[in-house]
Amino acid sequence: MKAKTMHPGTGGIPPEAQQVLQQIETEKSKYKRNMIIAFVVLILFMITTLVILGLDFKFMAKWLPFILAGSGYTFLVAFLAISLACILAVVGALGRLSKNPIFNSIATSYVSLIRGTPLLVQVYMWYLALPQIGKALEAYGIPGVQRLFTLPAVPAGILALGVCYGAYMTETVRAGIQSIKIGQTEAAKALGMNKTQTMKRIIFPQALRVIIPPVSNEFIAMIKDSSLVSLMGVWELSYRAIKVGRRHFQSLEMLIMVAFIYWIMCMVLQFVQEKIEKYMARGDRRIS
Amino acid sequence: MMENAAPMVKITNIHKVFAQNLHVLCGINLEVAKGETVVILGASGSGKSTLLLFINFLEEPTAGTVEVDGTAIHAGEDDKTRENHILEIRKKTGMCFQSFNLFPHMTALENIIEGPTTVLGQKKKQAILYAEELLDWVGLNDKRNEYPSRLSGGQQQRVAIARSLAMKPKVMLFDEPTSALDPELVGEVVDVMERLAKEGMTIIAVTHEMHFAWDVADRVLIMDEGNWIEEGTPEEIFYNPKEKRTQQFLAHIL
Repeated sequence: MKAKTMHPGTGGIPPEAQQVLQQIETEKSKYKRNMIIAFVVLILFMITTLVILGLDFKFMAKWLPFILAGSGYTFLVAFLAISLACILAVVGALGRLSKNPIFNSIATSYVSLIRGTPLLVQVYMWYLALPQIGKALEAYGIPGVQRLFTLPAVPAGILALGVCYGAYMTETVRAGIQSIKIGQTEAAKALGMNKTQTMKRIIFPQALRVIIPPVSNEFIAMIKDSSLVSLMGVWELSYRAIKVGRRHFQSLEMLIMVAFIYWIMCMVLQFVQEKIEKYMARGDRRIS
Repeated sequence: MMENAAPMVKITNIHKVFAQNLHVLCGINLEVAKGETVVILGASGSGKSTLLLFINFLEEPTAGTVEVDGTAIHAGEDDKTRENHILEIRKKTGMCFQSFNLFPHMTALENIIEGPTTVLGQKKKQAILYAEELLDWVGLNDKRNEYPSRLSGGQQQRVAIARSLAMKPKVMLFDEPTSALDPELVGEVVDVMERLAKEGMTIIAVTHEMHFAWDVADRVLIMDEGNWIEEGTPEEIFYNPKEKRTQQFLAHIL
């Protein structure tokens, strides 16, 4: 982008104004410095607390690789589940906004049912109750359903998380689409675009901007909720930490360690989110 | 004026009823010849913007027929070709809105090529060539890569006009194109509209911009409470309004 130069009247900036500008600059740098000091103090405080608690750091270091090996499952489950959730959310949002009574009622009850039941119950539903449904269907003469419906722990966890988060995100996406002004639709229609083109080219790209922050929120929550698959005996991060901690009676060390690992993963995601948001805001008035 | 040629836009007996007691338009007729410039005036709430939205079916009339360049649609009729007819009419008509409605996630150039590439299936290169010509024509070649938020209102409206023209429309509809602009920016938009009129574009404009009406309108129509109350050349209407309500209205805006 081209730099814009202002042309103030004749004579340039008066010295008083120069002084005020300088003052604003020093205030800014002061604020920045104080922030950094505050953060450093906070981190030092946390570290001293950990030392005072008498944590066995050797023990932690010894088990770190074993715990970290579970992060693969955590990422796999979270990533596939969020992908599924995104697809369901877009379809669900279109359903919620649809004038087709069947499509609309399915989407509406999906959101209502899933949001209205605990995720824990849903996880067990996919894992433990689904085979029973298969069995019942088989009794009605549909062969092979029971085996199909008996899911291993990881796929069951992905489905449970994906379907659950899809319901929450449906509402996010719907709100994002509805936040776009009617004038945008009118302008697209006036050019001769049909409904699909309008949604794909005009509405959705703009809605995405509104949707990205809450969806990143969901993704971060999902990273942590993925620990629910440990209920089904998947050796992911938290499951490993809890197992090791219990066996050696050093749960504090293991729990603190696994908490830190989650935290770092989420900080990385937050960083990515900020990058995406910055890109999305390219049409905005102010980009610093 | 071309009296004998088939009209470019023909509106027959249009009604809009929002509710039992809200009859916004009451059997309006309008014929606009090819190359003609028509300005519609009227108090706010008189129904003039609604009428404009009927021409490209952004709003559905309750009854009546709209015909643009030979493509006719009857209100309330429900057949399979209807949706296609609407799209066909929209491709033939360009529209400029009071609030510009540029696509904020696209640069000026991208806004202009969006219609040709998405709707007409043109190659991007070809669309850009014509878009650059249009940007030149509205005097904004140096703003091609700017996003709308970095353009002034007048510049945005000129990009919006270029965006409509990129579809090579046969009719241009203007819905109060200068009402949202700062006074000093009105001129640049009116200038573009006047050049468009002089190049022979068929124009229907709802506007309070008297300079435009005076300079290029072939006909001025006054609407009040969903009906035409007066029609004539700018001279007739501005110097010699017959209706009392026209006189009152003009006294307010002149």
